[in-house]
Amino acid sequence: MDSNDFIIKIDSLNKSFGKIKALDNLNLEIKRGELLGIIGPNGAGKTTAIRITSCILQPDSGDVLVDDMSIHSDQIQIKSMIGYLPEEPNLYERFKARDLLRYFAELYGVPKNRIDDRINELLKLVNMSHRADDRINTFSKGLRQRIGIARALVHDPKIIIFDEPTMGLDPATAHNIREFIRGLKGEKTIILCTHYMDEADSLCDRVAILNQGKIIDMGTPEYLKSKIHGNIILELKVRTPNNNEAELIKDFDSVEEVDINGNLFLISLKSKKDIKAIINVFNNDILSINTKEPTLEDVFIHTVK
Amino acid sequence: MKFITIANWEFKETLKSKKFLIIFCLQISMLFLMIFVFNTFTVNIQSDKGVSITPSLSGFASLDIDDQGHLFTKYINPSLIDIKSSNYNNSLQNLNNGEITGFVQVPPDSLNSIRNIDTINVKLYLDYSDPKRSVIRDEVNSTVNTMATSISNSWIDSLIPQNTTQTVVNQQGTGQSLQIQILTNAMLAILLFLPLFFFGNMIIDSVVGEKERKTGEILMAMPISPSQIILGKILAVEGVIAIQIAFWMIILYIMGFKFADPILIYILVIITALPILGVTTIISAYSKNYKEAGIGITISYIVVVGVLIIPALTYLSVKSLVSNISPMTMVMRIFSGETIPFWQYFIPILFILLVTILTYWISIKLFERDDIFFGPRPRLIRLFLELISFKKIVK
Repeated sequence: MDSNDFIIKIDSLNKSFGKIKALDNLNLEIKRGELLGIIGPNGAGKTTAIRITSCILQPDSGDVLVDDMSIHSDQIQIKSMIGYLPEEPNLYERFKARDLLRYFAELYGVPKNRIDDRINELLKLVNMSHRADDRINTFSKGLRQRIGIARALVHDPKIIIFDEPTMGLDPATAHNIREFIRGLKGEKTIILCTHYMDEADSLCDRVAILNQGKIIDMGTPEYLKSKIHGNIILELKVRTPNNNEAELIKDFDSVEEVDINGNLFLISLKSKKDIKAIINVFNNDILSINTKEPTLEDVFIHTVK
Repeated sequence: MKFITIANWEFKETLKSKKFLIIFCLQISMLFLMIFVFNTFTVNIQSDKGVSITPSLSGFASLDIDDQGHLFTKYINPSLIDIKSSNYNNSLQNLNNGEITGFVQVPPDSLNSIRNIDTINVKLYLDYSDPKRSVIRDEVNSTVNTMATSISNSWIDSLIPQNTTQTVVNQQGTGQSLQIQILTNAMLAILLFLPLFFFGNMIIDSVVGEKERKTGEILMAMPISPSQIILGKILAVEGVIAIQIAFWMIILYIMGFKFADPILIYILVIITALPILGVTTIISAYSKNYKEAGIGITISYIVVVGVLIIPALTYLSVKSLVSNISPMTMVMRIFSGETIPFWQYFIPILFILLVTILTYWISIKLFERDDIFFGPRPRLIRLFLELISFKKIVK
C-alpha cells in the first residue's frame, strides 16, 4: 500500500498523566476514507489518543502526521481538517442552536456567504431544523448530540473524530446517530471510539483494540472474529459444574476451547458434528443450551482478559 | 484575527444576558447611592452641625458665664460643654444647688483693660463635690490660654503694619474648602476605578467556565491559538468595562461632579482595566473551578487595590514622581486641575503596558498547557520555575 493512502500516521506516541502511562509507544495508521473503530476497556488510552490526534493534548514523545503534517508544527492546519465530537457534546448552553453553529463556522473560517446555507444544510442533516432557534439548554441529551455532530461538521472537515457518540443515548437516538455515521462512510475519514461492540462491528471498516496504551490487535471485524477459535460457540448452563466434564469435552475432535464461567460452559467448536455427544456428557444436568457465532465482544473479552 | 470573532460573540452574548443586565443596573444604583451618601457627607462636614471625630461632651457638664463684654464667650468651644449666660448671684445659687458644675466670671470692663494693657482677673468657681469639675477646669484654662495668645498676636500685629497680610488658602471657584476638594477628588477617582473590580467574575466565567462546563475541549480543538482565545475573551470584558465606565462618568457629570479632560480620564481608567484583567486571567487559567478562582481573585485584588490607591494617597502628602505609576494618582491630579507635564502621562501608561504584557504572556502560557486544563495540574513552584526559564522542565 502506498504511504499516501494513509491520512493519519501515529508514530511511537507516549503520554503519561503523573505516574499513569496513558499511551505506551502507540503506533497506528488510518487510511483515507476509512472508518476506524477504536475499542478498549476504560482507561485504555482511547480518548488520550484521539485528543493528541486532534492537537488538544501534547504527547510526551512521538508524533502524529495528519496528511503529512506534524502535530508539533502544523497544529492550526491539522485542527482545520478535523471535526471533533467529544463524549459529552459540551455546548454553550446560553446559545441558540443556529447561533452556536454560526459562532463555530466563523471560528473555523467558513466563508461568510456560505455560512447560512451550510447551517441550514447541517440542521436538516441532523434533523434539527425545527429547533434551530431554541436555546441549547432546552435540549435533551440526544438533541445536544445531534447539534454537537452538526458543530463538528460545520467546516466540512476531511477527518471526523467521534468519541463515544452514542454513549448514554436511548436506543432510537443511538440508532439514528449510527445511521448518520454510516452515511458519512467513504466520504470522510472517521475515527470512532466506542464501548459498544455491535456498533463497531456494524459500522467500522477496521477495528483497533487498545489496552493499557497499546494496540493489542487490529483488523476488519471479520478478521478479528475469525481469530476466535471455532466458528460456533456452544453455551451450556449446568446445575453443578464439574472439571471432569470439561476434560471429557476437550477430547472431541471439533472442540477448540472450553471456558468455564460459573455454571456456564463456553465451548468453541469447529463444526456442529459433536454437539449431541457433548450434551450427552452432562446427562440431565443441563439447564439451558444456546449456540451462537463469535461476536466482536467475544473477541474483545478474549483479547483483553 | 479570530480573537475578534471570540470577543464579538462573547460581548454580544454578555449584553444579551439577563443576569448581566440585572448586575449592571444594581451597580448603577449603587453608584447613585454612593454619590448621595458622599454628597450628604460633604454637606454635613461643611456645616456647623457636621459630624466631628472629636467626642462631644455636650450634656456632660454645664457652665454658667457672667461675661458682659462677650470676651470669654467668643473663645470657648460651645460644642464641648453646656454653656449658659448668667449673672453672679444666679450662678452662685445654681452652683450651690448642684445644677451646674462651674461658673466663670469675667470682669465687665475687660475690653478696656486689654486696650490699656492691664491684667484681667477671670474667676472660676467650681463645685468640688462634682467629679466633672476637672473637665470644666481644663476647658476654661484652655480657653483662657487661647484667648491670651490671640489677644497678644493681635496686639503685636497692630504694632507692625507690614505683618498684616494673612496666609491665603487657595480655593477654586467651587466654594468648597481645600480639604473637601481633596476628599472629592479622591472619592471621584475611587468611584471611577471601582467598576474595574466588578468584572472579575466575567473573566472567571469565561475562562474557568470553559473548564467547568468542559466546553474548553472543543475550543482547544479549534484552529485558534491560545493567545487568540485569551485575547478575545479579555477584549469582550474590556468592551463591557468601557461601557460601564462611560455610564458612570455620565452619571457623575449629571450629579454635579465636573472634571476637566474627561476623554483623557476615560482612557486612563479603561487602560487600567487591562492589567487587572490580565491578573484575573492568570488566576482563572490556573484555577480548577470557580471556588478556587474566587479565592485567588479576592487575594490578588487586595494587592491591586493597594497598588492603585496607596501611591495616589501618598501623592497627597508627598508629591513624589514614583506615585505617578498609579493611574489613579494621575486621574486625581487631573481632577484637581493641576498642570501636568506631558511626559509624566507616560509613567502610568508604561507601568500599565508592562504589567499588561507580563500578565497576558503568563495567562497564555498557562492556557496552552494541557496539564493545567486536563490535569494533573503542576505545582505553582514548578510552574514558576518553568516560566522564568522560558521552557518546559523535562520530567
